[in-house]
Amino acid sequence: MSPLATPAVDEHVDLVHRTDPDRPWQTVVWDDPVNLMSYVTHVFREYFGLPRPEAERLMLAVHNDGHAVVSRGARERMELHAQAMHDYGLWATVRQEPS
Amino acid sequence: MTGHAVVLEVARLEAAHLAALVGQFAELVDGSTPAAEDPAIARLVPTPYPDDDDAAREFRSLTESDLLTRRRADAAIVLLSLAEAAGIPDDPEDPAMLEQVEIRLEPETVRAWLRTLAAVRLVMAERLEITEAEEHDPDDPRFGIYDWLGYRLDGLVASFDEA
Repeated sequence: MSPLATPAVDEHVDLVHRTDPDRPWQTVVWDDPVNLMSYVTHVFREYFGLPRPEAERLMLAVHNDGHAVVSRGARERMELHAQAMHDYGLWATVRQEPS
Repeated sequence: MTGHAVVLEVARLEAAHLAALVGQFAELVDGSTPAAEDPAIARLVPTPYPDDDDAAREFRSLTESDLLTRRRADAAIVLLSLAEAAGIPDDPEDPAMLEQVEIRLEPETVRAWLRTLAAVRLVMAERLEITEAEEHDPDDPRFGIYDWLGYRLDGLVASFDEA
């Protein structure tokens, strides 16, 4: 009887690059030289239903940092948000939350 | 929730210019130029997956036509609301050119205006190759139009969002 075979598995493989289903997705809005600060604030208020100070804080994050995460959650939902941002003329991308 | 009807005051000449500009925009969006061949159209349907061509292609196939259809519908709403104000006399000396007229925009119409003004600016910025917010060629009159659209957009946002 042979002992249970121990496959030569490198346990580190894929730990870094695999897609972790539990890691949430994000909708990211990027700064651009065209859209007005007032308009971007309006979009965040109208679409996400944010109070003005919160919408302005988010707008300034986009403006000052070059981008801001505007939503987190399931991928399909983040894609809907991105499409909605595109509909307003904002530049949005979808990504899995960086680990 | 933001938004209520807004009364916009414009000179007939300005309304006519705006209608012409939005008309050109509608023609551009109506044209058959694929996004891949025109950066201005591409800017209206950006990819949410810049690092994943397959996902980008799939997303675009699902959303591009909806987004462009919406641009056309918005532009049509703007043109309709401008039609009366944009009626100008043939004689350029006619004082009616500068007559101020009021346009009442219902909330849904305001939203179409905001999206359209923003989109027309995106297209112009591609054509003018604007990469910095303050980048302006003072000798190019198109920058004047671009700024004027920004001024109108900003004013409309302010009236629409005021408590």
